[in-house]
Amino acid sequence: MEYLVLQILPYISVTIFVVGVMYRLGKWASARIVHNIVLTPAPPTLGGAAVNYAAEVALFRSLFKGDKSLWAGAWIMHFALLNIIGGHIVGFAFLGEQFKFIGTSAELSKEMSNLLGTTFGIVIWVALLYLLYRRFAINEVKLVSAPADYLHLLLLLGIVTCGNLMRLIPEYGVHYETAQTYFIQLATFQPVHLEHINFIFVLHLLLVQILMIVFPFSKLMHLFGMFAERWIINRPYVEPAPGLPGVKVSASSSTTTVTAGGKTTAGGV
Amino acid sequence: MAGEKKYKAPNKATVAEMRALFIDPVPDERKVDEALKHLKYLVEKYRPLMLAMESCTKCGHCAENCHTYLGTRDPNNIPTNRADLFRKAWKAAYTLEGKLFGKLVGAEPLSLDTIEKMYSYFYQCNECRRCAMVCPFGIDTCEVTFAGRQLLHWLGMVPKLQAQVGAAMYRTGNHTGLPKPGLVDTCEFLEEEMLEETGVEIKIPIDKPNSDVLYIPSSADFLLNPNTMMGAAKFFHYLGVNWTMSSEIAEAGNFGLLFDQRYTMRHNIMRLLNEAVKLGVKKIVWGECGHGWRTGKMYVPSMADRPIPVPIVHLHDEVSYYIRTGQLKLNPEVNSNPTTLHDPCNFVRACNMADTLREVITAVTTDFREMTPNRERNFCCGGGSAILYDEPEMYDLRIKFSAKKAEQVRATGVGEHGEGYLVAPCSICKAQLYPMVEEHQLGVEVKGLIDLVGTALYPPIKKND
Amino acid sequence: MPFIEVNGQQIEVDEDGFLVNTDQWSEEAAKVFAKQEGIDELTEDHWKVINYLRDYFFQFGIAPMIRKLCKETGFSLKQIYQLFPSGPAKGACKIAGLPKPTGCV
Repeated sequence: MEYLVLQILPYISVTIFVVGVMYRLGKWASARIVHNIVLTPAPPTLGGAAVNYAAEVALFRSLFKGDKSLWAGAWIMHFALLNIIGGHIVGFAFLGEQFKFIGTSAELSKEMSNLLGTTFGIVIWVALLYLLYRRFAINEVKLVSAPADYLHLLLLLGIVTCGNLMRLIPEYGVHYETAQTYFIQLATFQPVHLEHINFIFVLHLLLVQILMIVFPFSKLMHLFGMFAERWIINRPYVEPAPGLPGVKVSASSSTTTVTAGGKTTAGGV
Repeated sequence: MAGEKKYKAPNKATVAEMRALFIDPVPDERKVDEALKHLKYLVEKYRPLMLAMESCTKCGHCAENCHTYLGTRDPNNIPTNRADLFRKAWKAAYTLEGKLFGKLVGAEPLSLDTIEKMYSYFYQCNECRRCAMVCPFGIDTCEVTFAGRQLLHWLGMVPKLQAQVGAAMYRTGNHTGLPKPGLVDTCEFLEEEMLEETGVEIKIPIDKPNSDVLYIPSSADFLLNPNTMMGAAKFFHYLGVNWTMSSEIAEAGNFGLLFDQRYTMRHNIMRLLNEAVKLGVKKIVWGECGHGWRTGKMYVPSMADRPIPVPIVHLHDEVSYYIRTGQLKLNPEVNSNPTTLHDPCNFVRACNMADTLREVITAVTTDFREMTPNRERNFCCGGGSAILYDEPEMYDLRIKFSAKKAEQVRATGVGEHGEGYLVAPCSICKAQLYPMVEEHQLGVEVKGLIDLVGTALYPPIKKND
Repeated sequence: MPFIEVNGQQIEVDEDGFLVNTDQWSEEAAKVFAKQEGIDELTEDHWKVINYLRDYFFQFGIAPMIRKLCKETGFSLKQIYQLFPSGPAKGACKIAGLPKPTGCV
């Protein structure tokens, strides 16, 4: 079992993840944006649109305006998730000593890593529980949920729970060095030899791999969907010039005739 | 067809009425297969639709933001569930996860019953796009309704109302089926009315050659909203615009947007562009029509078969421009009734007009009160996409769909003394709100915005003494 | 297809109860339609509106603008609604045998 999860499955799950996501994105890309369906008010400049885009993608602005509690659950969950994924990457790369680059000692850096990791782990766990609670407690959300919607949350909760157990209970803990060695062995297609691994660690890895396999075939694609959809409805739009041909400027002393033409950018593709 | 009344739905167009739209209705036994073909084609062609199919997380945020759900509490009126009518079939037929796991991932094979359900619920959607605005991902469920109605059109399932309007457009160039003699007589009548009122000959020209401006009115203005037509005429007269209307395209609306974004929509658009060239106008000015202006502004560029010959602008963009430049003087004192503004969804969420409307309305009234929410967060009147059906059960739905609007109007207090104005610069909104303000006893009179401009012109158009 | 019965003859109407073929209209048919609309007896005032609608329709191929109808017949919109409870378009036009108005009305 351990051999399967740690040695064989990773190659399969990574392949499915990468190929699956590419396949889905390819399908999206081959569908077209036929009409201009920008949501207004739309800014006239690309800069303005970029600000809106960023506010939606990074801060979930639409959600914030409409539903503060859902926003809190969703944004905190995603923010913690982003940090956790980032933490895994730099943690394994620099063995927890990444904060040396901003001038801390190696020990302090490791302590900061541990503190941040533990904190975000608990935060995301609570946020996920809230999101799950919502699915059961709010009638409207229950009405729109398919079984898979609950399962996604349970899967994430499972991953996070394992991670937290590894953080909080020393006997389940796995050191940065062990994880780094493991990933290097995997990446270089060497046989994996690991000491001090435990059941929770294996389960954690298994669930993550299930998530990766499920990812391209599920609503988890909303990660990319957000960027793609926002690019369609949060574009700049330039208004046509006003002014009726033949109208004399009568109110002022000027006698020029308004014959301005209009031009719309951002037309359909 | 017995048993088809399982879901609330408007009467369908007859075979003859569908053939007038050049569609042969598909018989029941072939409907599912045909629908699946169309579904694949539509989803794979339109990216916004595909994204709606594949990246909704079912967070449920759209539910409380959809007035059709708020008014009926029917789960199928939650935007994402409405989209599920499509999504389930798409997943079941064309995705790996749907084929493998079925119901677990929310997939369900398409059936004749689902198609009837689509007909019911896609025609209970007002296409107001409030869900697109609130969706954290920006998923535009309106695109799903568009695609759903397109598919149903290809199957030969279109409500009588939409089908008859589509046919009237082919036949006469407007939605009310007004032939040129009727149009001329109506405009002459309105000219007389204005002559009586002002003592001045204000023309409403039709097919006048060598005009600078082609005005595209909503044809409902000829039947139902005379003050809107006269308001526009007075505005043009005041500025001395050399304008005309065309008997070939006396219609701001484009029902193609609402049920057939192909031939019906393109035919209407090309009719317009042809007429602009034929009359040699330099600019097209659009009248008070929400979905029509969305088509005119946003869909003409992608639908036209040739470069667009002249600029196309909206009447109120012009009015606000001339207010800003000081060339249009308005006296708000003449409209002192408490007034509120219903923002037509297409104007504020699809056409960038929220500021424009406010510039105009504050210049023509002294007691303007905003609804809450307003601008792009406004709720639909409940008639959006012309679901103006009279069948008792559909009419009942219209009342429910407008409940949120009624609540908003009431909260402004404009109708407390029975003399309020509810300004709704869109023909569908007007047609919906005329009866709805009575049903909900709001104490307001429904008006167009240009109507008020017409009465507030300063100095007023009067015969010189 | 639904139909109404006038003097023992069946006349075709659409789902909304409007006459399919305007030529099949008769004063008797008008009385049948009026009954459906909850009007017991067609008075002179009713006939004034009905006849104006029909005259206009045959001249211009369409129902007149409601304001014109009021002006030419001398009735206020309120009076029209008193005469035809479901209104000028859906009530009066139906009794006069005109097709149902289309569009945003």
